[in-house]
Amino acid sequence: MTSTVDTARSAGTPPPAARPGARRRARRPLSETALPYLMLAPAVVVMLALLAWPALQVLAISFRKLDLGELVRGEIKWVGFDNYTSILTDPEFWVIGLRTLLFTITVVLATLLLGLGIAVLMRHLSGWVRGVLQVCLVLAWATPIIATTTVFQWIFDQQYGILNKTLVLIGFDSFKGYSWFTSGTSTLAVIGLLVIWQAVPFIAFTLYAGLVNTPSDLYEAAAIDGASGWSAFRAVSWPSVRPLLTLVTFLSVLWDFKVFTQVWAIRQGGPDGESTTLPVLLYLRGIAASHFGVSAAVAVLMLVVLVAVTWRYMRLLVRSPETEL
Amino acid sequence: MRSWSKAMVGGFAVALAVAGCAGSGSGNDTGGQTSAPSGPRTLTVWLMNGSAPTVLTDGLHKEFQDSHKDVTVKYEIQQWNGIQDKLTTALASNDAPDVIEIGNTQAPKFASENVLEDLTANVGDFNGANWLSALKESGSWDGKQYAIPFYAANREVLYRKDLFEQAGITAPPTSREEWLAAIGKLKTKFGSDPDFQALYLPGQNWYTLLSFIWDEGGDIAKKDGTKFTATLDSPEAKAALDFYKKLVEESGTKAPKDADEQTPEQAGIYGGGKVAMFIGLPWEVGTAAKSDPSIKDKTSAFPIPSKTAGKTAPVFQGGSNLAIPANSKDKDLARDYLKLIASDKYQGEFAKVGMIPGTSKDVSALEADPVNAAMAKASVNGRAVPATPGWATIEAGQNPIKDLLTAFLTGAKPVDQATKDANETLNKAFSG
Amino acid sequence: MLHKSPAQRVALAVFGLVLAGFFLFPTYWMFTTALKTPAQILSPAYDLVPLSATLKNFVNAITKPGFTTFLTNSLTVTLGAVAFALVAGLLAAVPLARLRFRGRKGFIMLVLVAQLAPLEALFVPMYLIMRDADLLNSLWGLLLVYVAFTLPFTVWTLRGFVKGIPIELEEAAMVDGCGRWGVFTRVTLPLLGPGLVATSVFSFITAWNEFLYALVFMREKDKQTLPVWLSSFKTAFGTDWGGIMAASVIYAIPALIFFLLVQRKLVSGSTAGAVKG
Repeated sequence: MTSTVDTARSAGTPPPAARPGARRRARRPLSETALPYLMLAPAVVVMLALLAWPALQVLAISFRKLDLGELVRGEIKWVGFDNYTSILTDPEFWVIGLRTLLFTITVVLATLLLGLGIAVLMRHLSGWVRGVLQVCLVLAWATPIIATTTVFQWIFDQQYGILNKTLVLIGFDSFKGYSWFTSGTSTLAVIGLLVIWQAVPFIAFTLYAGLVNTPSDLYEAAAIDGASGWSAFRAVSWPSVRPLLTLVTFLSVLWDFKVFTQVWAIRQGGPDGESTTLPVLLYLRGIAASHFGVSAAVAVLMLVVLVAVTWRYMRLLVRSPETEL
Repeated sequence: MRSWSKAMVGGFAVALAVAGCAGSGSGNDTGGQTSAPSGPRTLTVWLMNGSAPTVLTDGLHKEFQDSHKDVTVKYEIQQWNGIQDKLTTALASNDAPDVIEIGNTQAPKFASENVLEDLTANVGDFNGANWLSALKESGSWDGKQYAIPFYAANREVLYRKDLFEQAGITAPPTSREEWLAAIGKLKTKFGSDPDFQALYLPGQNWYTLLSFIWDEGGDIAKKDGTKFTATLDSPEAKAALDFYKKLVEESGTKAPKDADEQTPEQAGIYGGGKVAMFIGLPWEVGTAAKSDPSIKDKTSAFPIPSKTAGKTAPVFQGGSNLAIPANSKDKDLARDYLKLIASDKYQGEFAKVGMIPGTSKDVSALEADPVNAAMAKASVNGRAVPATPGWATIEAGQNPIKDLLTAFLTGAKPVDQATKDANETLNKAFSG
Repeated sequence: MLHKSPAQRVALAVFGLVLAGFFLFPTYWMFTTALKTPAQILSPAYDLVPLSATLKNFVNAITKPGFTTFLTNSLTVTLGAVAFALVAGLLAAVPLARLRFRGRKGFIMLVLVAQLAPLEALFVPMYLIMRDADLLNSLWGLLLVYVAFTLPFTVWTLRGFVKGIPIELEEAAMVDGCGRWGVFTRVTLPLLGPGLVATSVFSFITAWNEFLYALVFMREKDKQTLPVWLSSFKTAFGTDWGGIMAASVIYAIPALIFFLLVQRKLVSGSTAGAVKG
């Protein structure tokens, strides 16, 4: 077990601080070796006990028949791959899976573009305008989901919604009594807007936090060098934002793929099941029907899809931990 | 990476072993009719938010604790949001409640899973002769009774007396023809107002469609033992759809065709004053009165008319059942509690607040108010949805009958296709 | 870029305000609905600006029984979870970014995979774990659950921020005679300001808004949190929409206060960069 100061950054010219590291390596007292483990311990314990362990149980449950009765009586019924075959042989699953992927990609792209744009904008805004924008973003983020989903339904209501009323007022008479929920695509578009609206503040704040960490003298240097806005961004901001951007992309993919409450609240996956996504399927087939084995199997399949989608990123992280994020 | 995956496999094996045991902590030590423990006891009762009036529970709990000196009733009001998840986990816990209220469309799922105490032998103790048949049905599974009726309500046509009078309608309609004629008269009188609706009927008011299907002599599904087969493609169902469409077209309702009576809340629209009739529950008048307090006095009701003049159409009876979880620690005490709550005295409180008592035939308190009286009149013909665990999924969302209505009313699918699709989805839900 | 013409400044400000309006609108709509009477909520009138206002919904919401209990519970659990997640996350982020040790890859994998499972599917095994640990009905138990939900993100983000601090800075301070602790408190921590703000706001809002686990794990009424309180405006007899909106406005206020309290760090983080010069 070795513990050294990470010197990857200053490879080439050994900095003076390399010496304390070398000295430490020579002595290797127990406290030094144990230090990283002690520091990691609280996080490891919580994550193992409350995330990894239940996740492994979900995996185990996906091979069981676990309905309400089995759960209450504590019975174990192994059914092998039955839960998986029942899901995978249903042609609907593949349609829903593809739809969920497309929905995720669209929402993630839109969220990231908007979030990055706002983060950069915040850096260039004068004090009070930035303050106003930040407060509005936090309000959007902090508003409880039960309120936002309801408000979105009202805004888009076909008779009384402010959107249709406004469109009619400014001359688009065809929107009188227009229904925004007639097809799965339009329903998903409204849901997507709701998800984007709620997710952008987080992305914008995280990226902004990365941007303000870029020393402003670097910008000044770039400006003196005559760099225009875009090339200054490429040269100065991009390197400090890129790792965070990769991180929030990864997280957005995970979150948007798993989003349930908003999809469910708007139209329960309707009309005619056309806005049903995988989490809705998990809820309907598994939890509402109390077939927890089936819901576990859907969860595992979702996990497989997520791993497949984020595989490159995860492998990069695990294989070469020294690379920048 | 390799060492990690080894750890993963190892962890998985342990998980399998332990997940096998998970859940075994409960149930084993609580089953059976153990002798009542001595010393102070607690009876945990879960009723839903807004179900039993406070007058009822206050009086009931006082009387129960007076007659059971060593018992404290722990009464906890539950929220509707997330109740499924909460009940599921509570039933599996080593600290399960002793009496629970379950929605009657949820009841078959719980009954069929054998997680509730079998009450078949006690039906007589709980006023069994006076039970509402629709709720009795939803609480039974495979010939055994797992849940007893609590209270119910059914839909009726709520209407504006003043508008009817001005349009020259002298008596509330008692047949489909009279109903359509009344719509015609209202339109002649008030049709010049573009916001006026003779009848507010959203496209997905599927409870109303059920009434029409039953009235035609059809049903949602055929029962065979504990198995159900959907019959939405029957000629009766198609006739019912036609009448529904006729109502929508004749009334010129502006209600959305792709939403139910909750989105937006129909009572609120009725409260706006431009609607002469809507199909709803008695207490929706109260919701409407929040918008316009004067509307309460202007509102009366009549049962949904039948195609046979003079009769009333059968109605879906929605409500709640009461049950004792199999994991309850004191089932005898819970039985005593059910006995008291099922007595005429406390059931009468439901009638007073405008609901139909589940275990009492005494509905005289409903007669005083015309809105409640119409519900009581129609309730004689109360019906239930198929008592099958699969119905819980339909109730949770994605109701094929709602999709059927929208597809048919908007013309998205021809009637044969729409009914065939709905039938298939329903059968799939019944089998899942 | 730092030297903009007045026209550019105005254009940027207008653009910023338009975006602010877009993000504010649903919240604004929630607020004006909270000021409406039931008759006005479903009204055909054009009411982009409220035509009249009532505070009745707010009074009803605050006087609804249990509000202060639920508020206290929510604050306790949320602030506790934020503090725990920050400390544990920072402790894990530093060695992850700075030290090489065995099991590092395994830990990274754990952090990554921990975020993959859908929370809706985890609640049954999670319930069994909490039951066996005797942590049901305990604010501590719920606090730990929220720590678990927010920790992977906290660790990961803070690791990125620690890595972003040039190691030469820490080493220089070390040479100047600061001890490890001195380096950490005087150099590392101030530079982490923006990262700490971003992660703590994230933890706060995640814990503050969580409904399902709070509902299922907290059996007793006096242990429940605000999201559960919010759902009590829905009954079998319809929903008090004005009440829900008023309650939601009240509900969003603590999150806003929390943000305003910590957001100065977002600025001070950038000035801390001056240390480098």
